[in-house]
Amino acid sequence: MTSVDLEPTDAGRHIPAKSPARWVRRNLFRTWYDSSITIGFGVLFAWVLVGIVRFLLTADYTILRRNLALFMLGSFPRDQLHRPAAALLMIALATGLAAGALTAHRREIAAVTGVGYQSSRVIDVVRRFWPVVLLVVVLLALTETITPSLIVVGALGLGLIGVWAGRRIRARFRRLAWAALLVLPFLVYFMLAGFGGVGWRGWGGLHLNLFVTVAGVLLAFPLGLVLALGRKSSLPAVRTLSVAYIEFVRGVPLITLLLMGVFAIGFFLPAGVRPGTVTRVLIAITVFESAYIAEVVRGGLQAVPKGQVEAAQALGMTPWSIMRRIVLPQALRATIPAMVGQFISLFKDTTLVGVVGLPEVLSVAQDVNTQPDFVAQGLERLTLPFAALIFWVGSYTMSREARRLERKLGVGER
Amino acid sequence: MRRTLVVIGGICLVLAACTQAADTTTTTGENGATPPAGETLATVQDRGTLNCGVNEAVPGFGFRDPDGNFVGFDIDFCKALAAAVLGDPDAVEYISLTAQQRFTALQSGEIDVLIRNTTWTATRDGSEGATFLHTTFYDGQGMMVRADSGFTAIEDMANTSVCVLTGTTTELNLATRFGSTPFTPLTFDANDTLQAAFIDGQCEGWTSDKSQLAGVRSNFPEADGGPEGLVILDETFSKEPLGPVVRDGDTEWAQIVDWATLAPVIAEELGIDSTSVGSFADSDNDEIRRFLGLEISTTAEDGTVTVSTFDPGLGLSPTWAVDAITAVGNYAEIYGRNVEPLGVPRGVNSLWTDGGLLYAPPFR
Amino acid sequence: MTTEVARNRPPFWRDLRVLRIVLQLLALVGAGVLAYVIWFNLTNNLRAQGIRTDFGFLDQPIGVQIPDSALSRNATVRQAFLVGIKNTLALVVVGLPLLTIIGVVVGVARLSTNWLAAKAAGLFVELLRNLPPLLIIVFVFRAVILQLPPSRAPITPFGWLVISNLRITVPGFEAHDGYPAFQVLMGIALLVVVGAWWWRTRLSDRTGVAHHRVLWSVGLFVSIGVVGFLILDRPFGLSRPSLDGRIVTGGFSGLGGYFAVLIALVIYTASHVAEIVRGSLQAVPKGQTEAAHALALSGFQRLRFVMLPQAMRIALPPVINQYLNFTKNTSLALAVGYAEITTLAFQSIGNGQPAPQVIAMLMLIYLFFSLTISLLVNLVNRRLQVVTR
Repeated sequence: MTSVDLEPTDAGRHIPAKSPARWVRRNLFRTWYDSSITIGFGVLFAWVLVGIVRFLLTADYTILRRNLALFMLGSFPRDQLHRPAAALLMIALATGLAAGALTAHRREIAAVTGVGYQSSRVIDVVRRFWPVVLLVVVLLALTETITPSLIVVGALGLGLIGVWAGRRIRARFRRLAWAALLVLPFLVYFMLAGFGGVGWRGWGGLHLNLFVTVAGVLLAFPLGLVLALGRKSSLPAVRTLSVAYIEFVRGVPLITLLLMGVFAIGFFLPAGVRPGTVTRVLIAITVFESAYIAEVVRGGLQAVPKGQVEAAQALGMTPWSIMRRIVLPQALRATIPAMVGQFISLFKDTTLVGVVGLPEVLSVAQDVNTQPDFVAQGLERLTLPFAALIFWVGSYTMSREARRLERKLGVGER
Repeated sequence: MRRTLVVIGGICLVLAACTQAADTTTTTGENGATPPAGETLATVQDRGTLNCGVNEAVPGFGFRDPDGNFVGFDIDFCKALAAAVLGDPDAVEYISLTAQQRFTALQSGEIDVLIRNTTWTATRDGSEGATFLHTTFYDGQGMMVRADSGFTAIEDMANTSVCVLTGTTTELNLATRFGSTPFTPLTFDANDTLQAAFIDGQCEGWTSDKSQLAGVRSNFPEADGGPEGLVILDETFSKEPLGPVVRDGDTEWAQIVDWATLAPVIAEELGIDSTSVGSFADSDNDEIRRFLGLEISTTAEDGTVTVSTFDPGLGLSPTWAVDAITAVGNYAEIYGRNVEPLGVPRGVNSLWTDGGLLYAPPFR
Repeated sequence: MTTEVARNRPPFWRDLRVLRIVLQLLALVGAGVLAYVIWFNLTNNLRAQGIRTDFGFLDQPIGVQIPDSALSRNATVRQAFLVGIKNTLALVVVGLPLLTIIGVVVGVARLSTNWLAAKAAGLFVELLRNLPPLLIIVFVFRAVILQLPPSRAPITPFGWLVISNLRITVPGFEAHDGYPAFQVLMGIALLVVVGAWWWRTRLSDRTGVAHHRVLWSVGLFVSIGVVGFLILDRPFGLSRPSLDGRIVTGGFSGLGGYFAVLIALVIYTASHVAEIVRGSLQAVPKGQTEAAHALALSGFQRLRFVMLPQAMRIALPPVINQYLNFTKNTSLALAVGYAEITTLAFQSIGNGQPAPQVIAMLMLIYLFFSLTISLLVNLVNRRLQVVTR
């Protein structure tokens, strides 16, 4: 116990050793209870792993194959599938452009400051985003025609072209690349719903989850910003109203707001105004999310050093100008990791809209088990993990990226 | 002092706002546009498609087959309505709704008509902003159990657990029927979880409308005993008249839907079916001629012959009934195609002349 | 000179003091008008549809039966809601301690030197943290609970449990004769314990010996309890569940839905707590660990005396947040039919009770829970605040 290990060993660092045998002995079998834990967990792991692998290899994936479009797009008319495909290609191109512009921007800054810049190779990107690659491979393996694979390959190609083009955009026009990213959601909506397409009433599946998340955050952000500023305000009336709203909304579960939206909002509106279900759900989610975003922005505002505000005041700037030019840019930059966290949280919470009747991914995963060909075969053990995989990949990737961003921006707080 | 005055002034402003009546009648745009009262027919005709609120999970009534097509008893009535109003039975957009959403969707204008095995009750007529039209299917609530459980009556089911869907009249009827017999009700908000609970034996009984139970039973997989492994108890605990529903406030549209969904019954009464609908050109039965929009010549006393086609003033074309019957057939054909395969005999859903409850008003 | 300066006030439309008041008035008036419009629309629409606008629905009969409760279908909605609150509390009271224990254990395991334990804990956390809670609940319900024996054929392992997918019954508490006397005796024991605590502390202060007050107090309490138990001839015991056809008597039982929600939410929230605990353990200054190591404290002693106390102070606010999330997530029991308040509210609305009032009551109940938990834990937090040097 005292002889060999002089270094402190409890911060997750494992004891380095010269040979595999020594490593095993030190990290797995140091003491008798250590060994029993190892053996116990080892047996448990092996049993679970074998069971899972056996299940995955022998399961019948027909239920997923046949219903894949239902999972991804809900009941989007099958003859209009070119719209989501076109939207996907557009997203790939725009993302590529933005990524290319960012790379060029960083390279320029590195050149100016004299710091080295290492552009990432494709293999590094793949390794970084391995869950997404895994999910895409699984989805493509379940498709029945070649078209989705072609579309994915096309999207990748367009993405790479976008990166190449983005790198070559001049500095002056780089802002356009960023602006394109902001306009993208509206363009995608237009592509799906315009000219006789399918409005959001007809959207379902994973598509609906993503739509509700993105729309929810976009709509809630301005409201959340106003609430955060209101909470910080020195006017007691404004501050009380903001605090009351934020604490109320944060104290109730999302499902109660959704129930209120679906069942009761009709009564709060003037007679004759009767929004559809998706609209009601969006209203409820906007109200919910705005309170959380307000808290995130408040945290960001607190992270701005007071010296900045004092210096700006000394320079004679008006309060509004100070807010707009000094405080908000720094504050919003500081909130980015927490905002991503909020985005992830909302993405996971969109499963609740299935409870009020919208066909999102989790409710599709349960519904397909009532189809006559698949009823009572215990296939929910396949469909529910499939839905879980989709959520897990999205959430894990986004939270890892948020942590990377946090480290890079240096605003990580415990 | 000044601050107090300002505060009092503020309160006065608020009170002034209070005395104004807020009277806004707005219609929302894009999704969820409620057509102004009285104009549903025009809206449907302009749009060119009928938005029909349906179920997609009840075999035999409202069901989406693996190819994505909607089939069922209620679906056929949607088709008949579309044929009558637009001339094309396929000009329908089927919008599948859950039990909780259905009235909201109707009120909001997302759908023009709700044909989704919905029970006609006073509360729904009064409080849901809905108007129920005549019943197309007289159903009742029943209980389904496993054949090997040995239950034959509700009294045998003391201390068992029963699955039921929440938020429907079914729950209330179940509690009333069991009365003081102890049992454990398990309420679920969605049919899929309920079905899983029933199949895995968490509940020993499943209560719902008998038509829905028959649909589920007919689809029960062989591995679990197949349809013979389940039995629907004879007892019917409640009246569940199912029929189409429209929004309050548009009488013209309500009448159109009423008569269009009555057409199959009238056709069966008159002996018309989808194959024979074209063969009545020489019929001397005036009611058939009125129904099918054929010309009727009336000879007046002074010998003048007037030829006219009957127009009851509903706002439909003269061949509306022909289009509807050609598309879906008469009631017997609709029933035979959708409900008989489930093993549900016509029973009270027969014509009044056969001892059932289907009685159409005369078409004149 | 000073009077000139005083008279040089800016015009009222730029005067900050006036602007402040005007802006606040505008905000208040705006909020007031909005609230009024909403209220007006609400009462009008409800009246137009013939739905009641007051809270009188609380005295209406519910019309349905709530499983595992003594209420008949003629009980009032108010009583039904009380049963719902009791069911929610059953989840919260059992779940919060469980998830804390599991969360701390997994969080510590994540930093263990045993590679397998650390990886297992890491897998647990990363897997569950990134899944939606509703999905975990549905999965546990369908793939775990429903796979238990069907309700018509429960099994009775060891003779002391009754397990089916409808209901799980464990041995429960049963009071025999002499229990009231036993309660009185334990009340006296409590007083004795308080006295012992005070005495040992005084003794320790005066003479400096180790007080061992916890050992003394617990020892006295337990010995009085054991003596009382023997003298009063078994005043309480375990009630063994017995199966008679379908009726289970005795024991303590919970519905399948309850266990599904409990297990799912406990492991979900525990994964978040584990992450918080790990982070806070890593936030303890390294010097503390090194000093403890230099003092030759074993791994366990290091954890118990040095690291965990400091880590807990850092971890407490985020853990409070997770407690609140757990409480709010119990509303997801709606998906598996467990009769807690959200399910009951949903049922009531479906059965004709007025939706705005029911949902408003539901929200207020959750607000009350949230605020109570926040308050309690903030009190504890304040006691634990360490004055930083």
